[in-house]
Amino acid sequence: MSISVLNAGLQTTLQGAPFTGHRHLGMPAAGAADCVSLALANFLVGKPGGAIGIEITLTDAIFAIDEPCSIAVVGAAEYVRINGQEHPQHQTLKLMAGDRLHIGPSRPGCRTYLSISVEIRADELLGGRSTYLAAGLGGFHGRALKAEDVIIFSQNSPTIEVKRTTPLALRPHYSDDHVLRVTPGPEADKSNESILDILCQGLYTVGSRASRMGMALKGAPLVANESSTMPSAAVFPGTIQLPPDGQPFLLGPDAQTTGGYPRIAQVIRADRHLIGQLGSGSRIQFVRTTTERATETHREKLSLLSSWLGPINLW
Amino acid sequence: MADHLPPIHICDDWISITLPDWESILAAQAAFSASHHWTEIVPGLTSIAVQFDPALVSPDDAASMVRDQLDSAAPVAAASHIVVTIPVCYEGELAPDREFVAKKLGIAAEALPAWHASRPQRVTMLGFMPGFAYLESTEPCPIIGRLASPRQLVKAGSIGIIGQQSCIYSFDSPGGWPIIGRTPLRLFDPARKQSALLSAGQTMRFESISQEAFDNWPPTVEA
Repeated sequence: MSISVLNAGLQTTLQGAPFTGHRHLGMPAAGAADCVSLALANFLVGKPGGAIGIEITLTDAIFAIDEPCSIAVVGAAEYVRINGQEHPQHQTLKLMAGDRLHIGPSRPGCRTYLSISVEIRADELLGGRSTYLAAGLGGFHGRALKAEDVIIFSQNSPTIEVKRTTPLALRPHYSDDHVLRVTPGPEADKSNESILDILCQGLYTVGSRASRMGMALKGAPLVANESSTMPSAAVFPGTIQLPPDGQPFLLGPDAQTTGGYPRIAQVIRADRHLIGQLGSGSRIQFVRTTTERATETHREKLSLLSSWLGPINLW
Repeated sequence: MADHLPPIHICDDWISITLPDWESILAAQAAFSASHHWTEIVPGLTSIAVQFDPALVSPDDAASMVRDQLDSAAPVAAASHIVVTIPVCYEGELAPDREFVAKKLGIAAEALPAWHASRPQRVTMLGFMPGFAYLESTEPCPIIGRLASPRQLVKAGSIGIIGQQSCIYSFDSPGGWPIIGRTPLRLFDPARKQSALLSAGQTMRFESISQEAFDNWPPTVEA
């Protein structure tokens, strides 16, 4: 049983839960850039939130399936077509052998997740199976999918028969405008307290250098008072660094584990899944919050999502 | 560490602790590793960070635990540091910047392998890529600096040097450090029990090997 890639688009990778516990070895998180959309898609085919799905970036992608199975699509895609016929997102969809699945381009937003009711075979390492592109590890031979690739389904994996529709209230709103809440980073105070005020004043636009590793942001320049480099220190997805050019750099799921630029702010855990929907040209309003409020926000979001999805993690 | 608790910075799911020297970073790493509350423990050059699950632990409680664990951190015995030897071929196309680096150091290019291999190194940190090792020579060294423009492709195993600091590239990647040799060893192999060959705090030295020895190096299964 397999799914064939007819058109992989710009960057399509196998992604599920991130790698954890290995950052001291230099192993980044990887995993689905938008964990909420993946978890919603997985639930519609009866899978846990962190199960491996197919992450599609910006452009459209086309697949063919050789055995009957259930699928679900959740994300920024403009449309979902099966054999040319339009079908909704946020619903369990039945596919027959030979069906052609066309997932439209992201409009607005950046990423879409395709979940399949059978288990997708993916390279395993360090307890995870997501794709980490820079080192060519995990997922489908460590790389993005391309046309003519055949993704194999694990044999004897039970097909869970569910028919579900995501409640309207839980469907994410895909947009090119985002509000991201931040707390000060370790170097925010040292460099200049007002840096965070400037960061949170105007809009920042994601520049053309945007990837799963991170993205340069264009907007009011921030000027560091002190030297613009420092001894390398731990960074995480959602860390905002301040390189010497004064344009903040927001780290994504594939970001390296340490960095030498001041860490001026940190996007709170509850909002980090939104980074997966940021593409070149997306606008961001940063809003300052406290760690206490961030913890409450995280628990509120978890409780809302788990009312539908059951126990779930955000990363 | 009981007398002066170091400065810490609290984010909503991680905490950064600034520490005075690498001995205290290693001691903190050992103390944090004994706790099951941290999902990540990441040493930096002059700091260490721990990450936690904010659904289970509040930032304030995490900060208290950090302080308690630092308070009880004991120096890591030097005997526990394994001295590792890394074979390096300093020849030909494996060492594209050998002349450049030798000139900066004011020595003959032929003398570079013996010079570099004679200097004990300490692994300060892993980062950049899985298994990528940042090294610091225990002896002083003139500043060499980075290449004027970074290479698009540095091969895995390449040894870079910018002065007191050297590094070993673990995967093919772009890179800006002058390259003086390459090791046939795999710095990162997820199939091994210890996937990363090196770890922060280890002491190591390089050993010069011939091109022939490099070419015929047996693929290792387990380090």
